[in-house]
Amino acid sequence: MGERSDRAAKRGYRLSRRAFLMSTSAAALAAACAPAATGGNAASSAAATTAAAAATAGPALKIGQLLPFTKVYAELGNSMKRSTDLYLKLKGNKLANRPVTVIYEDEANDPQVGLAKTQKFIDQDKVDVMLGVVATPIAYAIRNAVDSAKMIYIATNAGGNALTRTTTDCKPSCKSPYIFRTSFSSYQISEPIGEYLAGKKGVKEVFTFVADYGFGTESQADFTTGFTKNGGKITGSLKAPLGSADYVPFVTQLKAQPTKDIYSFFSGADAVKYIQAWNQLGLPAAGYRMNGAGFLTEQDVLAVVKDLANGAITSLFWAVELDNPENRAFKDAYQKEYGRLPDVFAVEAWDGMQALDQALQATKGDTSDKQKLIAALEAVKFNSPRGAFEFDKDTHNPIQDIYMREVKTSGGQTVNTITDKIGRVTDPGK
Amino acid sequence: MTFEDALQQALNGLSFGALLFILAAGLSLIFGMMDVVNLAHGAFYMLGAYVALSVTQATGSFWVALVIAPLVLALVGLVVEPLLIRRLRGRHLDQVLVTIGLSLVIADFIRLRDDWGWGATVRSLPLPAGLDRSIPIAGSDYPTYRLFVIAFGAALAVLLSVLHRRTRAGALVRAGVGDAEMLSALGVDTDRLFTLTFAIGAGLAGLAGVVAAPVFGLQPGMDVDALIYSLIVVVVGGLGSLSGAVAGSAVVGPADTFGKVLFPQFALALIFAIMALVLLFRPTGLLGRVRIGR
Amino acid sequence: MLVRATIVFVAWAALVTFPQWSGSWESSRFAAGVIRQVLIFAIFASSLNLLVGYAGLPSLGHAAFFGGGAYAAAIAAQRLGTDQLVVSLGAAVAGGALLALVIGFLAVRALGVFFLMLTLALAQMVFAIAFQATDLTGGSNGFSSVHRPVLFGLDFAAASDLYVLVCVVFLFVGLLLWRVTTSSYGRALVGVRENERRMRALGYDTRALKLSAFVFAGALAGVAGALSSYEFRFVSPNDVALGTSVAGFVMVLIGGAGTLVGPILGAAVVLLIERVLPSELPAQSVLGIVFIGFVVFARQGIVGAVRRVVRA
Repeated sequence: MGERSDRAAKRGYRLSRRAFLMSTSAAALAAACAPAATGGNAASSAAATTAAAAATAGPALKIGQLLPFTKVYAELGNSMKRSTDLYLKLKGNKLANRPVTVIYEDEANDPQVGLAKTQKFIDQDKVDVMLGVVATPIAYAIRNAVDSAKMIYIATNAGGNALTRTTTDCKPSCKSPYIFRTSFSSYQISEPIGEYLAGKKGVKEVFTFVADYGFGTESQADFTTGFTKNGGKITGSLKAPLGSADYVPFVTQLKAQPTKDIYSFFSGADAVKYIQAWNQLGLPAAGYRMNGAGFLTEQDVLAVVKDLANGAITSLFWAVELDNPENRAFKDAYQKEYGRLPDVFAVEAWDGMQALDQALQATKGDTSDKQKLIAALEAVKFNSPRGAFEFDKDTHNPIQDIYMREVKTSGGQTVNTITDKIGRVTDPGK
Repeated sequence: MTFEDALQQALNGLSFGALLFILAAGLSLIFGMMDVVNLAHGAFYMLGAYVALSVTQATGSFWVALVIAPLVLALVGLVVEPLLIRRLRGRHLDQVLVTIGLSLVIADFIRLRDDWGWGATVRSLPLPAGLDRSIPIAGSDYPTYRLFVIAFGAALAVLLSVLHRRTRAGALVRAGVGDAEMLSALGVDTDRLFTLTFAIGAGLAGLAGVVAAPVFGLQPGMDVDALIYSLIVVVVGGLGSLSGAVAGSAVVGPADTFGKVLFPQFALALIFAIMALVLLFRPTGLLGRVRIGR
Repeated sequence: MLVRATIVFVAWAALVTFPQWSGSWESSRFAAGVIRQVLIFAIFASSLNLLVGYAGLPSLGHAAFFGGGAYAAAIAAQRLGTDQLVVSLGAAVAGGALLALVIGFLAVRALGVFFLMLTLALAQMVFAIAFQATDLTGGSNGFSSVHRPVLFGLDFAAASDLYVLVCVVFLFVGLLLWRVTTSSYGRALVGVRENERRMRALGYDTRALKLSAFVFAGALAGVAGALSSYEFRFVSPNDVALGTSVAGFVMVLIGGAGTLVGPILGAAVVLLIERVLPSELPAQSVLGIVFIGFVVFARQGIVGAVRRVVRA
């Protein structure tokens, strides 16, 4: 972190200095102009207004962001931090007129560390709200801690179904009035594409191939639910250990079975190796078609595999190409600040801040009355870069549109082209 | 499984084994010569892959990277050995322990260097031109790069074996494995010999980084995966000998591949079980000279 | 002797009453949580120290028994439908010891670095099982909502009560280790470390000695694992992973192998770097450099360095 955080710190310092210069020069300008117009009196009234504005600025708002900055998901954490910083910068570092301090902690992709840092947010930093967490097990691990501390926590990536569901004995996790989620549940990115393939695309049979861990298994089950609901048949399944060194043996097996449509859940490095092996063994030419939950072909993967992923159909709640005013504005701002396009993780973190912002506006910045803040969050509605966003009041999982995307390459750019949309998908909640 | 599928998987297992051999060769060499299990081997491998990434991006050539990355890593070895390993001569365990610390630092260094295009993002080393296509074998397409890997692994094994048996350096190495003190008494500069050995071992890790990266990819955590695979290979094959590394990779590669195919629910544990079995029945490893204990 | 015992007892009394006398501090609650974690990892590191520091067995797979104990405690409590401390802690001790017996049986035949590699690889096998046996362990999602235990009428659900439990177990383990290391058995272990051949010539069954130490250390690591499952109410494959084994090793070496206090100090230093200091700090680099520094310049760890200063 050394270099990066140094730079970040310097940037923060520069920013605050710039902000300071701007505000002082604005005051000076006002002071300089005012006497010319109405004489000395106005100068003092201008000063009084400034003082009044300072006085009405609420107490500092402390936000704890628990993100991975080391280990395998570090880049996801970096992206979410960039998005958070940008949001606050554009809001003049204030939410509902309260100046904001964000404390970033590294969950190091370890539930124990994540929980220890959560306890730090609660007991030591006494943050007003908490956001973040990339890996589902960490969200499950901190669930009881935030629930019993009545700490409002907005999950900004972890997508395990159980986090916003009613489950027996709360295993592996369960919903809490204090937990909201601005990302997705694995149901939302897996079930609709099952319905869609069987229904709209008329696919009769699918073979599933997923990463052998909690999330992959969940995605496979949810896809199966959707696909069989519309009359599709699952002909078989295969799992690869998460982080397998070599995907060729698995893809050899895919090719050795006759079903041409494959549904997959992989992300990051696993997705890259899978797609490379898929092409090296000539599956496209042999008539096989790749389908999957959206992370299979997100930007981090496409940046590496490029046109090798052409033709893959995946479902997600966002795509960088999504054409709406909010997404355009978001992309422009992000690109301008960081010189690169935002990714889906940036959107999740952005919406976490946006939901919090809007709820705080409703409570006039009050975070002490938890029930009031929960009610305000439940009532939040806004247009996100992903489209219309609101929380399901029952589960606190988002109600959101799910887009069907096809990977296409034109002019050297490989992108997820949106081909269809399934409106207002809600997690069943149990 | 049809015969064609079995043939394909055998080929997969063979090429995976070849990659494992390239991966484990440096670890085996350093151990055989210096009695040091270099637990930074995985980190050296990772560093080699990232250096190769930068070189490939700068020059556009995989082949340049194949030369440069091992050299850079050999240089790292040349610095590390006198700085950390030599001063702990005679304290074998401590020599191993400093390499743990070293591996933590190297992996973290790579994560922090996103200004070099490294960092924590998923990266991949593109396949070299000419080896990026597939050819039909046994009724199905097969990637030429994996065939290249098999050939490369075999060539490396032959080359190392010739160097080992036919050259003066090889003679010193063979003598060093037998008795370093005797060598020193005979007036050989063992400091230089060990530094050189360590550098070559590190260079081999870097070489593995270049050759394996197009298949295994570049991401945080790749160092630990590579280290564990190479440890298993050298333990199964027999520590500290070239033929042991060959035998180990020839067993572990296909066993891991077929294991994943036939018993996917045990995929992760399988290679460790193989290792435990081998040790139970042959405590020296398949071709080892040294018993690991009594 | 009496002086020493008095110092230890006073220090422990101060520790166990920390939440009371620090109650007015703003950070008291957080600090108490950190102390609980430090003590849990101190038990873990101390158990490893018995192997590394006394018996000369450099195990790099000790997390298998820590995580194994944590899973055993959580699973036993769930399956048997009880929160009794004796059940879950007993299961953890048995689980840690049993795993150590199996791994130790294969590993104690090996020497030095061979032993290190074998324990590393065999522990990875335990990790693989924890990760893939979803029905038993919860797999990658972890084992959640572990209940905090009760001992007959005493309930350790509240953090303040758990604090007392951890302190008591810590003291018990500390005294046990002190007793063991100063016994003839402990001296025999040191003898094996110093010169195994000689010990065999003297008629000791050195392999049995080493295996017994390995199993004993595994059982104690299981105790630490059980406490960790109460503390975090969560067990994940990370608790069995290589990173945890390495952390334990680093704790022992930084603190001072072969001393009773060293691993406790080492646990405090490592947890401070990894969990308390701000995340801007590149924890892994810092740990790596500190570790190298101690191995090269102060092999006797913090305790050794302090002794040198005191003597000088």
